[in-house]
Parts: sequence; structure tokens; C-alpha cells
Amino acid sequence: MSDLVLDNVSKVYRPRGKAPVQAVRNVRLDVKDGEIVALLGSSGCGKTSMLRMVAGFEDATAGAIRIGGRDVHNLPPAARDVAMAFEGYSLYPPLKVRENIGFALLRERKASAEIEGRVRQVAELLEIAEILDRYPTVISAGQQQRTSLARALIRRAPVSLLDEPMSQLEPQLRAILRARLKDYLIEHRMTTVFVTHDQTEAIALADRIAVMEKGELQQFGTPAEIKQSPNNLFVASFIGEPPMNIFDATVKARGNGVAVQAIGPSGQPAFDLESPLLEQAPRAGKIRIGIRPHLIEIGGLGAGHATARVVTNHWLGDQSHICFDIGGCSVVGVTDRPIQAAQGDALPVRFPLAALHLFDAESGRALAHGLEAQRGE
Amino acid sequence: MDQTSTFEKITRGILIVLVLLFFLFPIFWILLMSFQNNDQILRIPPSIAFEPTLQNYTALLTGKLETAAGDLDIAFMRNLGNSLLLSTCAVLLSLALGVPAAYAFARFKFRLGENIAFTLLSFRFAPPLLVLLPLSLYFKQLGLTDTYVGLIWVYQLICLPLILWIVRGYFEDISPDIENAYRIAGHSWWRAFSRIAIPLARPGIAAAALLAFIFAWNNFIFALILASASKQPVTVGALAFVTASGIQYGQIAAAIVLSVTPTLLLALYAQRYLVEGLSLGAVKG
Amino acid sequence: MSSLELRNISKGFKSGKVLDDVSLSVDAGEIVVVFGPSGTGKTVLLRIIAGVQDPDAGAVVIDGADVTDSAPDQRGIGMAFQNFALFPHFSTFDNIASPLEARGTPAGKLKEQVGAVARMLKIDHVLGHAPRELSNGQKQRTALARALVAQPKVLLLDDPLRNVDAKLRYEMRLELPRLLRTFDAAVIYVTQDYKEAMALGDHIAVLRNGRIEQWAAPATVYRAPASVEVARLFGDPTINLLPCRLEAWGDGCGVTLFGRKLPVAASYLRAVGHDVIAGLRPEHVVVRETEMSSAIAFDLDAVMPVNVRSVLYLRGPAGVELLATVAESDAGKFGRGHRKVWIDFAPEDLLLFDAATGARLAPRTEARTN
Repeated sequence: MSDLVLDNVSKVYRPRGKAPVQAVRNVRLDVKDGEIVALLGSSGCGKTSMLRMVAGFEDATAGAIRIGGRDVHNLPPAARDVAMAFEGYSLYPPLKVRENIGFALLRERKASAEIEGRVRQVAELLEIAEILDRYPTVISAGQQQRTSLARALIRRAPVSLLDEPMSQLEPQLRAILRARLKDYLIEHRMTTVFVTHDQTEAIALADRIAVMEKGELQQFGTPAEIKQSPNNLFVASFIGEPPMNIFDATVKARGNGVAVQAIGPSGQPAFDLESPLLEQAPRAGKIRIGIRPHLIEIGGLGAGHATARVVTNHWLGDQSHICFDIGGCSVVGVTDRPIQAAQGDALPVRFPLAALHLFDAESGRALAHGLEAQRGE
Repeated sequence: MDQTSTFEKITRGILIVLVLLFFLFPIFWILLMSFQNNDQILRIPPSIAFEPTLQNYTALLTGKLETAAGDLDIAFMRNLGNSLLLSTCAVLLSLALGVPAAYAFARFKFRLGENIAFTLLSFRFAPPLLVLLPLSLYFKQLGLTDTYVGLIWVYQLICLPLILWIVRGYFEDISPDIENAYRIAGHSWWRAFSRIAIPLARPGIAAAALLAFIFAWNNFIFALILASASKQPVTVGALAFVTASGIQYGQIAAAIVLSVTPTLLLALYAQRYLVEGLSLGAVKG
Repeated sequence: MSSLELRNISKGFKSGKVLDDVSLSVDAGEIVVVFGPSGTGKTVLLRIIAGVQDPDAGAVVIDGADVTDSAPDQRGIGMAFQNFALFPHFSTFDNIASPLEARGTPAGKLKEQVGAVARMLKIDHVLGHAPRELSNGQKQRTALARALVAQPKVLLLDDPLRNVDAKLRYEMRLELPRLLRTFDAAVIYVTQDYKEAMALGDHIAVLRNGRIEQWAAPATVYRAPASVEVARLFGDPTINLLPCRLEAWGDGCGVTLFGRKLPVAASYLRAVGHDVIAGLRPEHVVVRETEMSSAIAFDLDAVMPVNVRSVLYLRGPAGVELLATVAESDAGKFGRGHRKVWIDFAPEDLLLFDAATGARLAPRTEARTN
């Protein structure tokens, strides 16, 4: 299909009588041909504005948008040859589901047998084959959303834009439909950009994720890069469930590296970490540290850094989520086996280097990542 | 799509001005006429510049109309008073009856509920002339002809359906969970009605009351048939300006201005209650 | 005596019966989670307990007293709604104080109690604000505070975390159990999220088609689901379901899956000859890059990293779809998918369900320990 380039795109809204709102600020993004990209962020971060600008429903205040090398930011939506699945579904009420999905193909004057076949294929993919002959007003919100998605996917357009494509989906269908969707997009080499506030969905589906906050692009990288080397505190704490544990800490030079000491909520020292980091880390002063829950080693043998006191221990069938207290700091750890520990019990825990991230205390910018340092050694 | 060109903006502006002129011009002209005497009004060609006079207003206020054929008594101020009394009482009564009824229709699903509600609305559809003859006969039998009570009662045909339908919509828009939460907290259903439902529906109640007032004020036919001169509102009283010795346009214009003023003032006062958004943010979705 | 008892509650609407002979009991200090997909009557159940809706049959008993005919303001219950249901024209303080005000609590004591609850829920700094000025998380906590402030004997929580963002939802999932236990009320917590159910509940009542399909501790519901539907509802990604037939072989019995014969426990013998559905949880599927004699060839069509692990979408012989999870660190070697892999699993990990009724076939040994 086509590649998509956003070149320094900005969007300013000027509502009457109120201050102008900068929804998108100088975003540069390049989506490769056949790539799946997620625009991820909380509500109001500008991701939907960006999607609508690519589709042509909003004008970019500044910057250029190119599809397949062609400037499209001055073209009306119909001329851009993009397919879009809207957050509000926007189905045509007088047409059956089947006709809604096949609508765009009708415009392209395809043979009816071919349309029939492709509609059925996409409907089976999204588990809506049973409602093909119903009308949009009588089906559930989840089914409406899937119909809207089917309508966009069937076109196999050069660029497909999906706005929160699976937000209404029942949890039980989510895993399998995500899998089928990803398979479909890869198989037909469809360049796709989708918007979501659910970081689990972004990580599952996307080849690369663009994390946005307050209109600015915070980081654009693969899920692995974003998880292992987040650019700043915002990205680090947004991605990952359970969220990354974040603490205040102080740094002191020691030998070849630095000694990091976490500070509890009332300012008292909580626990110590060894970390032979690194040129970027400051030699002294206040910083913030992040520790990924599932990289913490819980229980087991070997020296623990500190003894943790269990606060809650939840076994969720295939993983344990344990919240424990170390020196006043509340830490959450995840492991894939049940841990026999009740509230108040002591547990040895270890924070391997790979689990650590250091951030600047003021700006939140990332200073060093444990995994990178480990690889560098 | 904010692709409107300058041309479209200018054209839109011009069209809006034309539409405004079309609707506001008659009102403006009447205002002018109320400050002119008959000669100035009937002058050809008509002009904007003139010497204003208050004689029309004085005539109305004192009740004496000077015509070529001598002085006539105009009971305009009494008519104005009647209008105020009838409209206000009619609206108050319809609020007292209609608001609780609207609540009942909104919250409780009872048999024939929709049918009853629709029947009450249908009163607005029927032309008053249709019911006037039987009504006047009933009124004579009940001794209600030419009484304030009788008129206020008949005005319910105008006001009550409005209150019912508008306020019911507002009650239905309030999530029942808010009242449920209040009741679960330990309050009786009456307190839930008076402390939660009514304050939250206030914009709707204000809008409905205002509309009901306007419709009651404008009513002509009921008052014409069922009341005599002493109880007539301004709508009927205006007929008196068509005298044997010519039509007093100046006084009619002044009468119109005075008739419109109370409703206008009420609307301006009620405006702040019409502000929406009271329940925004307290209930998700 | 339990604090809250529901006896044979039934409720039907024009669309059908929403609750069919539902009975359960909750002790003081216990958290019972009522779990089920949307539209299954969980909210109706809470409304019947609260008294804002009447049951067609059955009784609600609080502390030994039958309150089925009492008005909601007479039942001494605290309830937090899914859509918050805050009073928009009251301040946050007045919202929380409302139950105390209804009980005629004097002003000084009222202020003290409201302050205490607000501090516990970390909203004491927004007490003067109107509801529309609060964030969703703060609104949810205000709704909770209002439910808790009068120390009710029975606490009803209707999916309170549903409309709250993911990060806050996770934090509250950790905080709520501790918070609720300090109040020693009988708690019924309604949710559609199985992880929340497992984290919060002492017992889970799975509500389906108006009936309680399973009543058990969380770990039991996951490990030994009563039916196919319960197995599907508990687990992320959803359990793999493979139709097959239980046959007798020699001394024992087994099923044939993907062309392989798999022996299962002899205690399943009485169900031989039945059509069954074999359930295999994704975490029990072993995925290998290289061929092994016992492993079955599958096409790996997509790899989806999910937080702690990756989900592999596999397609095998006869178009069967399978989901497997592997540790995040192992997922890297599979790239973007679209290659061949070989899968394996232990027959003991299979959960067998009767294909006709959906009920789980429990091996005889298990029946004793349940």
C-alpha cells in the first residue's frame, strides 16, 4: 500500500470567545508502507485531531501530510483514498449491516459475487456474520463498532485510519479479534494508523507506537523500545499494566558507578539499589527512579536488596500481583506463579538492573535505562 | 471542515442582516408609531424623522381617548390588569398541577400512562372554536360566565399540556439514579422530589412557565366569549380602538407596546433559569 | 447470622426473566463479587437489594429482618453507582454528608465524619468543589465516600471502577480491599472484569442467564470452572475451546486432538462416548521453534506483546485457531509471525466439558476435595 508522512504538523483550534487551543504541536511522523502505527495517549492529547487531519476532516494549521509521496493536506477527504472507522460508528441507518460494509466496494463497481464474498470474509473475521441482515439500530454497540471496522477494513485502502476500533468489545472476544485483525492487516500489507487510549491494545497491535501528551509527540518507537527505553517519565508510567513503580531517590557517587537510594513518601530513606550506571546519570543529587513490576524478582533464593512486607497478594489465575512495602515505599510486583504469602509476611525481593530506569527529577526526561546499561556491559 | 471562503462569510453576513430586518422592522415601526399622532402616521411618504409625542400613552393611562367625535372611555389599564391577573394565576395553577404530574409520567410506568399523556397534549391540537359553544353552555349552567375563576380554569387547556410535556422531558433527562442515591441515603420520596428533581429540572420549568404565560397572555377567543368587558384582557380590549369615527393607530401602537412589555420583562428575568448545564458532570455518560 | 441474605429472588421483564431464583448470603466483613457479562441482571440485583426496584418473588433479609417491603430510605444501605450519581447542585461536602444529614446527625459530628472519610479516600482537598469540577477518579471516590460515611451494614458497589482510567483503576483495585475491610460491612461488589473479581472477592458468584452458575473462591473458579461459559469468562486471553470426543482406549480413555491421541485421567471413564469440549488455557500451550516428535505443527500468524507476556495467534490443521502465551523475553525470537512453529501441552492441563450441557466433567477424585 502506501507510506504516510506527517511533516511538522500542527493544529490550533480557535473557539469563539475563548483562548486558542493548541491541539497538536509540530508532530513529525513517518509510517512505512504496510506498517501498523498506534497513536496512544489520554483524552485530549491530540491523537484524534491528528487522525482527523490525515483523513481530511480537519485542516492542518501548519505542516504537510503526504501519502505515497503525494501532498494530500489540501485535498478533500474523498480524494485522499483513505478508509476510516469512526469512533461514533457512523453507520447508514437505512442500510443493512451487509450493505453498510459493502458500500465502498459498490462505489468501486466491483462484481456483486466478489463483494458478497469479501463481505462474508470480513464479517466472519469480526464475528458479525450472524447479523449481516440486520439494521444498525437494532444491534448492540459492540456489533455496531465491529460493523464500522469491517466497512473500513474491506476496502484495503492505501491508508486505513481506525479511531478506537475496539473500545466497546467484550473482554472475551478481545484477544481473538485483535489477533485476527493483526493477521489481516499484515496479510494484506495495509498501512494502518489507529488511535487508542488503551496501552494494552497499542502494544498488542502496533509495529510502532506514537505516544502523545498535550499535543506533543513524546516518543515514537516499537513496543519493546518504549517499554525498555522510555524517553521520559510520562511514557514510562503510561505504558505497562501494572504501571511502573516510580519513586523519588538520591544518587551518590560510589566507586565506578553510583549508589541509588529510594526515598519514601515522608522523605525518609527507604531502600538501597546498586547500579553501576553510567555516564548519563548524575553523580549526585535528586532523581526519580522507575522499577518495572514484572522484572522484580520476588521470593526465591539469593540475596535480596531489602525485606519487603506484603500488603496485598492477588492471584489472578495466571499471574500474581503483589503489593509490598519497603521502608515506607509501596511497590507492586508481578510474577507468573502463585506466591504463598499473607498480609504482613516478609518477602525477599531483588531489583535487577534490567528493571531500573533513572529520570531527571524536574523535567522527567530519562537519564539511563537498566537494560541498555546491561547490554552495554 | 473550516473551508468557508471570505465570499461565503460576507454573503452569510448580508443574509443574516436581511433576515433580522425582515423580522424586527415591524416591531421597530410600531414603536415609532406609538410616539406619533394619527396625522404623522398616515402621512405619505412615511418618514423616520418626526416630533415625538406622548399623547397616546397619556390617553391609555388616563383612560380617555380623544377622537373627532369627542372623548371615549378606554379601559386599557384595567384590561392590562386583567391580562396580568389571568395569565399569572393560570400559569401558577398549571405549575402546581402540571409539575407533579410530569414527574409521575416521567418516573412511574403505569397502565395507559402514554394514552393519558397524549390525551392531555391533544387539548393543544383542538381549535378553541370547536369547544367554545359547549363550554359557554356549561359555564352558564355552572354560573362561571364572566368570572376570573372560570377563565383561569379554561386557560388550563392552554397552559397545562405545555407544562406537562416540556417538564416531563426534563425530568426524563435527569438520571433516576440521582434520586435513587438520595433515597438510599435515607431521604423520603417527597424530599427526593423537592430537593433533587425540581432544582435539576428548573431550566425546563422556567421555560415551560414562560411559554405558558405567553400563550395565556395571547389568548383571544376564550376571553372574548366567556367574559364581559370588566374581565377582558388586552387582546380583547384592543378591539375598542376601532371606533366609529376612525382607527386610532397611535393608540393601538402604544397599546401594543404596553402589552408586550410584561412578557418581555418576564422573559429577560427568566433567562438565567433557562441556562442549561446544571446536571453536567454529576452523572457519567 | 449473615448480615445480608437473598432468598429466591426472581425478577422478569417483558424481554424475559432477568433473575431466576437467586439466593446468596454475605457475612459482615465479607466481600462477595457478583460477576457476569453486561445485561445479565447484576445491576437489577443491586437495585432490588437497595429497594429501588421490587422483586417478583423472594425476600431480602438484612441482619435477620425482612426488608423486602421497606422503602430504600429505611434499609440502612450504602450504595455506589457505576455512573457516580452525584447530586450536581450540591458541593462535594454536601454530597458526602447526605446520608448523615438524613439521619439527623448534629453539625459538628457531621463535619468530623465527612472529613474522616474524605481523608481516607484522599479527596479532603476538593470538598468545596462542585461535582462538575472533579475528575472522574475524584467523582468515583466521592460516590464511595457517600456510600461509606454512615457506616452502613450493607455496602453495594455497582462496578465503581468501570468509568475510571486504567491506571487509577489498577491503583483502586489494590486499595479497595484494604479500605473496605476497615468498615466491616457486608459488601456486594459487581463487576465485569474477572481480574477485579479475583482480586477483590472472598467469594465470587458468577451470574448467567439469571442464575448463579458458580459460587466459589476466586482461585477455584479459575482452576475448576463449573461450565464452559465460566471458563471463557475467566482468563485473558480467553481459554481455547476444542470440540472432540471422549473415547475408551484399552484400560483408560482419551481424546483425539489435532490428530494426536491424548490419554486423560481414568476417572473420566464414566463420560466415555460423549461429545466433549476440551479447554486449554493459553498459558499451558508450549510453543517450540523446532520440530519435536510429540509436537504438532501450526502456523504462527501474529505475535501480540501484552504487558508481561506475548500472545501468539496460531492456525493449525483444518483451520483451527489457537492462542498461546509465552513470556515476553521468549517472544522476541518469533518476530512478527508468519512462520511455522510446533506446539505441545500436557493432557492433565485439559479441562473437559460436556458438549451438550456445557458443564465441566469433574474427575472423581476432585469431587471429594471441592
